[in-house]
Amino acid sequence: MIKYILTIGIYLLVAQPALQAQSAQDTAEHKAQIELGRRLFYDADLSINGTMSCATCHEQRRSFADGNQAHPGALDDPGKRNVPGLANIGQFKNLTWAHNHLSGLAEQSLMPIRGTNPVEMGMNGHEDQIRKRLGQNGCYQKLFLLAFPKEKGSIHFGTVSRALESFQKTFISNQSLYDQMMEKGTSLPTKNAQRGKNLFFGAAKCNTCHTAPLFSDDAFHQVQPREQNTEQKTTDYGLSDVTGNPKDKNIFRTPSLRNAALTSPYWHDGSAKTLAESIQKHDLKTNQTLSHQEMTELVAFIDTLSDMTFVNNPKYAKPSKKCPY
Amino acid sequence: MKNGLLILLLATTLFAKEAVLPSELSAWKALSYMGSAKNPQELPNATLTLNTASLVGLVPTPKIQYVARPTNEGGTVSYGGLFQITLKEKGLYRVVLANASWIDLIKDGKPAPSVAHAQGSENSGIRKMVDYNLDEGTYTLQLSAGADTKSALLVTKLK
Repeated sequence: MIKYILTIGIYLLVAQPALQAQSAQDTAEHKAQIELGRRLFYDADLSINGTMSCATCHEQRRSFADGNQAHPGALDDPGKRNVPGLANIGQFKNLTWAHNHLSGLAEQSLMPIRGTNPVEMGMNGHEDQIRKRLGQNGCYQKLFLLAFPKEKGSIHFGTVSRALESFQKTFISNQSLYDQMMEKGTSLPTKNAQRGKNLFFGAAKCNTCHTAPLFSDDAFHQVQPREQNTEQKTTDYGLSDVTGNPKDKNIFRTPSLRNAALTSPYWHDGSAKTLAESIQKHDLKTNQTLSHQEMTELVAFIDTLSDMTFVNNPKYAKPSKKCPY
Repeated sequence: MKNGLLILLLATTLFAKEAVLPSELSAWKALSYMGSAKNPQELPNATLTLNTASLVGLVPTPKIQYVARPTNEGGTVSYGGLFQITLKEKGLYRVVLANASWIDLIKDGKPAPSVAHAQGSENSGIRKMVDYNLDEGTYTLQLSAGADTKSALLVTKLK
């Protein structure tokens, strides 16, 4: 028994520094991945003709959404869906409007880069171009080496997408007026917003799907009447496009309402110009009972979910041209 | 002569099927060729005239030294260019483009905020239109993140 305890003690003494060293090494690599991901996020060389970066559609001032109904691709192919915001995106299991098989943000980031339905950044089959363009930049050479030392700084879709994932996982938005009031345990500053909050978590049952704190349950629902689908310019069957299951037709992931006031237009196809229009599109019995005043109150509450520290955070902004290393 | 034929060919391509344009865009059809500036020093040779459409030549992004860092920077394989235009009065102005290049209008080192965006009607040859409330003065018009070596470009006053 004593021998056993001594063995464990010696193991812990030896193992502890190694764990710390490992942790420190991971941190340095991780920091480099975040810095690299940030540069890549704003780099249009990730698109076939150099015209689009991730940030072309994901604008920080709009909580990383886009002001258009749908954004055309680098080769002018029409966009399929409204660009979703990226606040707290690292907290979601299901990514994009309608996909439940993505392993994480790394795999997701390759959808716009090399996806073909629709063509967005148009890099399908052009991994060699990524390697060539980024590889001729001395700063990228250093960053890839620091971020992926075990892979000797190799530049390919895998390392690019993992760096993008690391950067996007830093997108934390939790300093809205609502958050501040909740922390202080006080009411929201306007009567409309406070009544809207009561409605949201009460009679209107918005919180059932737009569940706090993410203001999304990260699940899939059909909330739009089928006849409204005729508005769609392109064929979009939601989750069933991925699963092939007819039961998943017209089912979409609940979007987060954090910073929603900054991300118009709304709905998976961008067909709702305002938050009020978006609420009206819900095919719910509660919607039928909402008065104009109640709608105003709900919108006033959603306004309090805007986090200006998030959209102005310099850590997420376009990096300086100067190489950090 | 060779340039004349080139302009005719490009203009024919751009406007193969004519669309009916509103009066404020009537200048869109008459094109004169202009090269872009690659740096601020070359700007006097790339001076735009209000209400006059130009077929502008664009240059590879790595060769350009912008006056201010573009909001949407193009990659190394994209095209862009610099131009200047002097506005005699304050008002609402529209920049009209045949391609999807990003537009920044710079004065005193800062980009003017846009107030509206639109696409042109079908067969108009217009890819994008961006409106700005501008003061009088000289602006640098920067095109960035373009896919092509050329584009038709027009700056017009709306009101």
